Amino acid sequence: MIEILNGGTQTTIQDAGRPNLRHLGIPASGAADKLSFALANWMAGNRWDAPAIECSLGGLHIRFKSDTTIGLAGAEMWAQINGQNVKNFTALPVHKGDILTLSFARDGCRAYIAVAGGLKLPEFMGSSSTYLPAQLGGIDGCALKTGDKLTISNRPREAPRAIPKGYTPALSRHIVLRSRPAPEWEGLDRPSKRHLFVSPFHASAATDRMGSRLRGDKITMEKRLPMTSSPLLPGTLQIPPDGQAILALVDGHCTGGYPRALQIIRADLWLLGQIAPGSQVSFRRCFPEDAPKILKARNSFYSGLIDGFSF
Amino acid sequence: MSPKLSPNLKEPHLIEYGDSAILIQYDLGDMHYSKPVNEAVHALAHDLQLSGNWLEIVPGYDSLLCQFDLSKMSLEASKTLLKKQIKTQKPKANPTGNIIEIPICYGGDHGPDINAIQKTSKLSKKALIELHSGSTYDVCIMGFIPGFAFLSEAPKVLHHPRHATPRSLVPAGSVGIAGWQTGIYGLESPGGWQIIGRTPLKLFDKTRTKPFLVEAGDQIKFKPISAKTFYEMSA
Repeated sequence: MIEILNGGTQTTIQDAGRPNLRHLGIPASGAADKLSFALANWMAGNRWDAPAIECSLGGLHIRFKSDTTIGLAGAEMWAQINGQNVKNFTALPVHKGDILTLSFARDGCRAYIAVAGGLKLPEFMGSSSTYLPAQLGGIDGCALKTGDKLTISNRPREAPRAIPKGYTPALSRHIVLRSRPAPEWEGLDRPSKRHLFVSPFHASAATDRMGSRLRGDKITMEKRLPMTSSPLLPGTLQIPPDGQAILALVDGHCTGGYPRALQIIRADLWLLGQIAPGSQVSFRRCFPEDAPKILKARNSFYSGLIDGFSF
Repeated sequence: MSPKLSPNLKEPHLIEYGDSAILIQYDLGDMHYSKPVNEAVHALAHDLQLSGNWLEIVPGYDSLLCQFDLSKMSLEASKTLLKKQIKTQKPKANPTGNIIEIPICYGGDHGPDINAIQKTSKLSKKALIELHSGSTYDVCIMGFIPGFAFLSEAPKVLHHPRHATPRSLVPAGSVGIAGWQTGIYGLESPGGWQIIGRTPLKLFDKTRTKPFLVEAGDQIKFKPISAKTFYEMSA
């Protein structure tokens, strides 16, 4: 059992999400940074997609009610166990009564805590992932708060393990995202098409699991035509009338009415989960023939370590 | 032009949407809504979903998003597969076969904007209710959040622009009009639609075995009910 002493800014339970429900208006949700989440589970000896704790920005304090091992990954949050510094991206033994604290995110937005055996939670449509707008998953569909208790599951598992050299992702407050055009790309005016790739943007305070409002050069359309609501994906950059672009994230709306300018390539989607308010965000073009090659290389690298994982 | 499609339905465009999705976009010309197009979208969505080849199949009013698994299928192969499906697709008038009756209490506290629409349409409340509840609507899109049902075009005299400033809270079950669209709020949410009534039914309830009352491709009919019936049904 794990007791939440303080839920911090926003801490939720996430797993691999509930895909293929966007036609019902339900986004897949799941861990915002799929790679760090999978590594946390791998270190704890779990299947990569076992439910784990996702802490946004920091402030989380939890107490362990039994001896176990945790995998800690994602943004560096100056983690401590009983006041002693512990290293990020490591498997950590914890004992009954130990208190783990995460302070504040330094180089990203989200940290993951996986517990050996995984967490035992009810599922909605095949997933325990928390989706706050409709109160799905997690504990009563809410963010974790003081007094919540999480039950540790006893699924068969591997022994805890350390990440081999070269597999730890480098996180930073400057996020570079490779992209391909989205359906309304051609409607952007010429200066905007250039600005998107040369000027950096900053994630505003309006940044959460649903999306990130970016501050930066105004992006404008050649001609703003009325648009009928149309499907939308996580990783789509939308251009509202005020020209301040919005990047849809893992809990983003399933349909939208703003022009869609860019789509982040699949191999880079995990990075969206590390965009914190204030992060610098830059977009790069990806050649059409490169996107599948990048994905294939990334998948074969990590699936060699994490059984069944793909970006 | 494929002989399977109705005479005025043009072949849709396949637009690349990033590295792992394709948007099938129909050309509506000057129209904002076309029933044959929306039926074609849902017929395609239905059969593509059944094929199991796609990660997400998301219908729009006049478009269909098809997300494929780039680690297993190429963009070109996906396009070929979609072109073939579009060519051989058989039209379906009501893709899911469901016609669902939605009771709605028009006006009063449940429909605070009905007066504004009475003014622009120059209709009595009774005539307005008869008109709005007199048609069968297609459920065109579900979303942007769970349970919100975007429906097909409302009768022309009822068209009305959104509120300039959205309300911070619209109750779940509210039925509204935005431009030519009519729709139902499945969850309590902020919103700018002109609210003309409310249904006591829950469009989304996670505790039900079938959480959704309606899905894209269904058809619905509104049945006017009194405020008294509304409270009895929501009790």
